[in-house]
Amino acid sequence: MKTESSVARIVGNTLRNHPGLSVLLLLTILLSIGFSLLPPLVLEKIVDTLTAGERILLSMAVAYFGIVAISGLLDAAKESLITAFGQKATHRIRSAMSEKLKRLPAFYFVEREPGVTASRFVNDVNTVDNLFTSGIISMAADLCKLVSILVIIFTRSTGLGLLLLAATPLLFWMTRQFQKRMLKAQMENRVAVGRTNQQIPETLNSMRTIRVLRQEPYMLERYGDTIEQSYQAQERSNFYDAVYSPIVVSVSSLLIGIVMAASAQSGAVQMFFGMSAGTAAAVIAYVSNFFGPLESIGMEIQNVQSAVAGVRRINEFLKETEQKKSPEQAREESIAVQISDMSFGYHGREQAIFHNFHFTVKEGESVILAGRTGVGKSTLVKLIAGLYQPQQGTVRVFGRAPDAIPETEKRRWFGYVEQQFRLVPGTVGDQVSLFDPQVTDAQIRQALDMVGLGETIENLPGGIRTPCTESLFSQGQFQLLAIARAVVLDPRILLLDEITANLDSQTEKMVLSALQTASQNRTVISVSHRLYNGEKNQHVRLLTL
Amino acid sequence: MNRNNRDATDRIGYYFRKEQWLLLIVTVTGILYNVGMVAGPWFEGQMVQYLCDILGGNRQAIEMVMLAVCYVLTILFVQFMRYIKRLYVRKFANHISKSMKMTLYRNLLHRKREDLEEAGSMMTKIISDADACAEGMRKFTTEIFDTGVVMIAYLVMLLLYDWKLTLLSMLFPPIAYFLAEKLKVVVTKNVALSRESSARLNAATLERITNALTYRVYGQETNRNAAYEENLTDYEKKAVRANIWENAMQPIYRVISMLGAIVIIWFGGKNVFGTGWSLWNIAAFTTFFSCYQKLAVKSSKAAKLFNAVQKAQVSWKRIKPYLGSVEDEPDPETVFPSPLSVRNVTFAYPGQDALFTNVTFQAKPGEIVGLTGKIACGKSTLGKLLIGELPYQGEIFLGDVRFSQQGERYENGVGYLGHQPELFSGTIEENICMGKPGDIGPVLRAVCIDREVAEFPDGIHTVIGSGGVRLSGGQQARIALARTLYHRKPLMVLDDPFSAVDMETEKRIFDNLRILAKDSVVLLISHRLSLFPQMDQVLWLEDGKITAAGHGELMQENAHYRTLYEAQRKEAASDEN
Repeated sequence: MKTESSVARIVGNTLRNHPGLSVLLLLTILLSIGFSLLPPLVLEKIVDTLTAGERILLSMAVAYFGIVAISGLLDAAKESLITAFGQKATHRIRSAMSEKLKRLPAFYFVEREPGVTASRFVNDVNTVDNLFTSGIISMAADLCKLVSILVIIFTRSTGLGLLLLAATPLLFWMTRQFQKRMLKAQMENRVAVGRTNQQIPETLNSMRTIRVLRQEPYMLERYGDTIEQSYQAQERSNFYDAVYSPIVVSVSSLLIGIVMAASAQSGAVQMFFGMSAGTAAAVIAYVSNFFGPLESIGMEIQNVQSAVAGVRRINEFLKETEQKKSPEQAREESIAVQISDMSFGYHGREQAIFHNFHFTVKEGESVILAGRTGVGKSTLVKLIAGLYQPQQGTVRVFGRAPDAIPETEKRRWFGYVEQQFRLVPGTVGDQVSLFDPQVTDAQIRQALDMVGLGETIENLPGGIRTPCTESLFSQGQFQLLAIARAVVLDPRILLLDEITANLDSQTEKMVLSALQTASQNRTVISVSHRLYNGEKNQHVRLLTL
Repeated sequence: MNRNNRDATDRIGYYFRKEQWLLLIVTVTGILYNVGMVAGPWFEGQMVQYLCDILGGNRQAIEMVMLAVCYVLTILFVQFMRYIKRLYVRKFANHISKSMKMTLYRNLLHRKREDLEEAGSMMTKIISDADACAEGMRKFTTEIFDTGVVMIAYLVMLLLYDWKLTLLSMLFPPIAYFLAEKLKVVVTKNVALSRESSARLNAATLERITNALTYRVYGQETNRNAAYEENLTDYEKKAVRANIWENAMQPIYRVISMLGAIVIIWFGGKNVFGTGWSLWNIAAFTTFFSCYQKLAVKSSKAAKLFNAVQKAQVSWKRIKPYLGSVEDEPDPETVFPSPLSVRNVTFAYPGQDALFTNVTFQAKPGEIVGLTGKIACGKSTLGKLLIGELPYQGEIFLGDVRFSQQGERYENGVGYLGHQPELFSGTIEENICMGKPGDIGPVLRAVCIDREVAEFPDGIHTVIGSGGVRLSGGQQARIALARTLYHRKPLMVLDDPFSAVDMETEKRIFDNLRILAKDSVVLLISHRLSLFPQMDQVLWLEDGKITAAGHGELMQENAHYRTLYEAQRKEAASDEN
């Protein structure tokens, strides 16, 4: 699939991929506009018949109802089709965004809070959904209706037609002013809402500290501050929302008043504005119908406004700089890791972490990276795993650029044990397989046996199918699970990032023995702030950064 | 309890009462506006009649001008009332959303520990439910006037013109109501289904992003996107279904109520012709017809009102359990210095054998006590017991205060540092102070992080990201330790505070700790024994029994302790070579 990098393009593609739906949608909109214009014409006829002192035929009454009924059914069809289309488009936007996740550099995820990125997917796309269901499409329909009514009015009363034509730009100018101010308020509100949402998981994670330190009032105050920002922004947009529609209705009444007064005059004015009683009744209906759509455009402004802010942010997300993929090298080499002349620094920070760095690991070797905190031990591991890419020089794993290794092969190349175990929503088995269809149950069991968790997990009520929660295992056991996750597909290189932090020495022993088993016949690169001197680890090489 | 019932934050009435002044303004302007709504059709009917009369030569043009002026002025007034009503009803919703969210958050802060995990996973959904509730209450308030009052006004007007015709034509809107009532069940069901699917989608989104890097390293991004796609498809289907039920039924209600139009045109025509129930002029005909149409539109909105309220009810039901009133506990008084006394403490996890029995020890202020033992001996558990997180048997005294045995609340006067740094996405200073003003320089120096912090672009005002993600593991741990030290308490339980720092730094921090905590009892839980010779007392926890002694004494008397210490010392010595 070609990458879709803007909301407009995605919507365009949705239209193209569903031609039947698109044509039906257009047709229904046009028909529904057409039918909604007819009732006043029938009314005109009825009133004129009455003024002429003639009887009304039953067929006229039935015709009036029939037109209203068809118009109503068309409206219903229109609403349903718009919804269906909007959902198709938002589905496509979300799919494109999730594809984008794959291409973002790792640093994107480190730098940003997950809640903020998730709110691009959830809140911002929802506003785009509103854009369809109660925004742009109905707005286009309303605009069509406006033009049609204007045309009909011109045929009935030139004066009123001109008055309307003069009033419309003024009202549009006002509408634009409102749009701009509301956009600003909406943006501020969205930002504040994102921040409030972020505070919930954070509060939960820090709950013990908050309670022990009795800082509930402080956290409430912090939360209150962000709520207040969102409240103030909402207040501002409320004002514009509240005042718009009363202004429009007042203007419409003013116009009707002027026309009625004018058509009662004699002479030239009468010629210009004049009409029969029936026409007057129809014209009044049209004028309120004229401002009806204009008024709903006012309502739709709010939806479009928030959607514009949302769309802008989705587009920004879709246009984020992507990770450059290194070209694939077919040639394999026997040197496990070869880093040559490599420089790397986090962007936005002045100091580079690595400068013309050279480093080689032979196959089967064990290397421990040591050095003080912040020196770049974890960064080096992430460079080897292909999460980060060097600004200069090369990183090669068995001769290949690590980020060019195809997804399905990755687990056979690397096992990466992270600093913190990442619990995924699913069963105990899913923790090991990460939902990977390549991984069989037998392999999961084997990996669990290898790290010494096999028995513990078989004793759980559902075995490896037991749903996994935070409370199911101890910290050390989660570390063991992390190792099982890394080795389940028998990788050539094992990368360990500060694996034994936060463990007591007994658990550490269990973890170490699991690691020892896991390290056999493998290249191992581990980060440690402390050093281990196991009996069998004589071939371990130490690299102090 | 009874007295508080009216003020209970989990009752919908509380929120309406709290905003009664806003509601009063809404009521006054809402009634004026909606009663004024009948002025429109009445004036318009009169104007058509006047035009008819003027064209027939029975009236002067100036009369029409006067009528038009009155019409415009009336509408201006009515619309001004409408503006005020709209503004205040929105203010009302905004206030409610704000106070509900604050109540929800306060509730979360005070929620029982065992409920937290569940509450946590629900919370984001619940916050958006609060918005849905506020929106529902706004719509309800709006529609009481914009539907209720205005319908009564129109109805009265119609009855005055021709009561028989009114009754006849009014047969139809109730059919629409009846249908709406029937459909309500289906609508609610479909809305609930779509909401569930949306909640699942949101959870999947957050999960996909949170674990993005894990999935990347393991080559699972394509697989996870495929799973995400399934969520998307399910949501699309359910959302379309719910939306069709919700929105598309509206025009159909309207068609049914417009059946009355046939009756009005037919019999109304007879009225004008002079053969009907009442004698009408053209003004009466157009006013009646236009009023009826507006009424029919309103009655379709009334059905919408039911759905909006229905939707809000679903949300309300979900958030109600999270809206209970909670009171902040009074700020505890902590007494420095207070000795710690633990007597015959026994603890067991529910349904298991006792983890330790009859644990007894004392510690004086200024003492640093080291607690250690083998794996799973329960040393972290003992730490959690001292802060009041777990129930136990026996007695724990801090000074004169006896701790609760129930483990349902954190004790006053105890500071704690656990395995997780528990940082939030504020600045370094905010994370350490947490609202307690003061100079954080000393604690930053104490944990040996002052220089690193000074090198950050914004110093202590550097924002550290969610959970402190922009700091390294070692920095996070030290900031967390600094926070615990900044909030100095008579008893400080530090569970493995040095696991992420090197031994050199560990030694320096320990020396600083001695000075900084000279009035406190410090319980230092650790598996690394290098500092234990300097401890004032060592607690050795083994097989559920505690041995309290000095380091030297334990070295002589406890073979296991000695073995462990020697092993670690040898390791450290060989590392230095």
